[in-house]
Amino acid sequence: MHTGLSTRPRRPRGNFHQIAAPLLFLLPNMLIFVLFIIIPAFQGLRMSLTDWGIFTGSRWVGLRNFERLLSDRVFWITVQNTLVYSAATVALLTVVSLGLAMLLHRNDLRGEKAYRSAFYLPSLLSMVTVGIAWRFILGDEMGIVNYILRTLGGPGVGWLTDGGLAMASVIGVSLWAQAGYYMVIMISGLQAIPPSLYEAARIDGAGRAQTFFHITLPLLKSTLLVVMVLSNISAFKAYELITVMTGGGPGYATKLIVQQVYQVAFMEDRMGYAAAMSVALMAIIGLFTLVQFRLTGKEQDYE
Amino acid sequence: MKKLLLFLVILGLMTASLGALAQQEVTLSVLWFNDANESEVFEDTVKDYLEQNPHVKLDMQVIAFSEFEQKLKLMISGGNAPDLARLPTALLPVFLPTLEPVDGYVDDIEAVKAGFMPAMMAYALSPDGKMVAYPTEATGNGMLVNKTAFDKAGIDVAALSQEWTWAQWEEAARKVIDANDNIKYGLAVDFTPHRFSTILYQFGGRMLNEDLTAVAFNNPKTIEMLSWFKRMHDEELIPKSVWMGSEKANELFQAGIAAAHIGGSWNINGYSKDITDFEWMAVRNPKGEINSSVPGGKFIASFQQSPNKQEAQKLMAWFSDATHNAMYCAGTFNLTSRVDAEVNYTANKENFDTFAEDLKVTPAYAAQEWNSPLVGKASAIIREQVVQMLMGNLTPEQAAAEIDAQAAALAQ
Repeated sequence: MHTGLSTRPRRPRGNFHQIAAPLLFLLPNMLIFVLFIIIPAFQGLRMSLTDWGIFTGSRWVGLRNFERLLSDRVFWITVQNTLVYSAATVALLTVVSLGLAMLLHRNDLRGEKAYRSAFYLPSLLSMVTVGIAWRFILGDEMGIVNYILRTLGGPGVGWLTDGGLAMASVIGVSLWAQAGYYMVIMISGLQAIPPSLYEAARIDGAGRAQTFFHITLPLLKSTLLVVMVLSNISAFKAYELITVMTGGGPGYATKLIVQQVYQVAFMEDRMGYAAAMSVALMAIIGLFTLVQFRLTGKEQDYE
Repeated sequence: MKKLLLFLVILGLMTASLGALAQQEVTLSVLWFNDANESEVFEDTVKDYLEQNPHVKLDMQVIAFSEFEQKLKLMISGGNAPDLARLPTALLPVFLPTLEPVDGYVDDIEAVKAGFMPAMMAYALSPDGKMVAYPTEATGNGMLVNKTAFDKAGIDVAALSQEWTWAQWEEAARKVIDANDNIKYGLAVDFTPHRFSTILYQFGGRMLNEDLTAVAFNNPKTIEMLSWFKRMHDEELIPKSVWMGSEKANELFQAGIAAAHIGGSWNINGYSKDITDFEWMAVRNPKGEINSSVPGGKFIASFQQSPNKQEAQKLMAWFSDATHNAMYCAGTFNLTSRVDAEVNYTANKENFDTFAEDLKVTPAYAAQEWNSPLVGKASAIIREQVVQMLMGNLTPEQAAAEIDAQAAALAQ
């Protein structure tokens, strides 16, 4: 018999708000993300399938740009350089920022805040400023370092004119400029580890190394992942510092994919081909990020 | 009915007057780069024009030359071209398809063209003969020397350089290095194919084929020059830190580390202000197979996208007449691109004359090659392969072949 009363349970009124409110809060961010990331990314993908030049119009060429990439020797040199630069930068940034954080996270060192500020300060500078400053410091003839070396009676060193040293110099300056930023992230990760775990380890007689490898590192896994992913993406996109310091030279010695993309797009006016290089770069970054996630694994709750 | 009619008349009048007001107020956007003080002198030169035409205002955007090409390309591709821009020779062919021809905005275009040096006008013409820009200043590439250092080595560089060869220069440079503790190198050459091509032309080399349709470095004279350039670096007569590092040739010259600098005529202005430690002067370029400079210059142009083409063209015509061109060139210490402008330089007349002498004997193909968009597009490739050769990764023959091969891909 129909009583006129519904037997179906009514959804609480608050549910609509619980669903709609978060979506509305997300909406502005999502709009910006779609407008400035998703749409340009798809436009870039479409552009990579054309031979577009800024003033010469666009013609559909299918996958020809990608076929050409496979046999482009200079592109593969820049891929190799990018891998070397990013592997070295990520490894050094992770180790050095962790080391600095280990020294400066306990609030028991005199002048600790001053040290933290000093290490963090370079990360506030723009990479262009950093590049110009270090170009003057490491210059062959007019650089400060070589001036000191020569004053002491030694020969000058080709910091930026020798291919191998130029790459090492760029990696070193990247480390100087960014280690402080990642140190702050590491400090917050270290401070989130419960002190009771260290206390328990000490009572059990664990040494410093054991404590580091069995407590600190495992509990810092998610922080390490963040640092490695962020520094890796930053390394793959390093443009300003290298352009200002070495211009990608000498020769191809410090030329990364992004420098080659700029040259092909804006100097050679081959926008379509440059877009294909950018798509390849995006794929490489995606692959590396995936590998990093896999290697670092799932976070475990030790509490 | 009468009220409605009256209302419509008033509305019409208001619309018309608002329209007229809107037409009167024009702000011309100007994209500029500086070699020295050109933007200031440009604004000073057009000050009278702006006073006589109070409805015209200028919105100057001065950016670094290193960012100029990319910025202008992005503005044009985004549909926001400036009303006016300063353009160097190398970029004129690149932006040619986007420029608004002067033809149609002046009464007698042939008379306007005749007012400028033929070499400069050759750059300013589109393939169909339309004038797409006004030449402002002419430039040449030449050699500037540290006279004090040459004097100390007992060399009268003014006399020697009246007619000297690269072999004589080399001999003199070695003596200058030996006689001066601070001088470490004989010559610094700007890290750009434009200045590099000055020596290349002197050796009888070419960058393009005869009909200017392809990059053609692989020829005996160009390879001879590449070999010479490598030897100069290996024997430390030219510093590695410019082409293989990031130091600037003009800074090494100003610091008294290099005895000479192959640079553009715009350096005369900068050196006049900045060099106080030693005496310097412009000398004739050493001769290889021929004497040569590289003619070039700067231009002012308007764009097809410009919403204020009429006003932009009026301002350009006024700025480029003989009187104002002379004012501008005197203020910026540049060579005039006009045939009828009397420039009263307050200093350095002899140095400008020396650059002009080299320009007079420069072969026509130097201008024709630099007027080709191919050279501009291949510039980065040329630089890279020359550096590869200097590093010892390629022989001069391999570098020339590699430049040709990579540049061929630009045309595909």
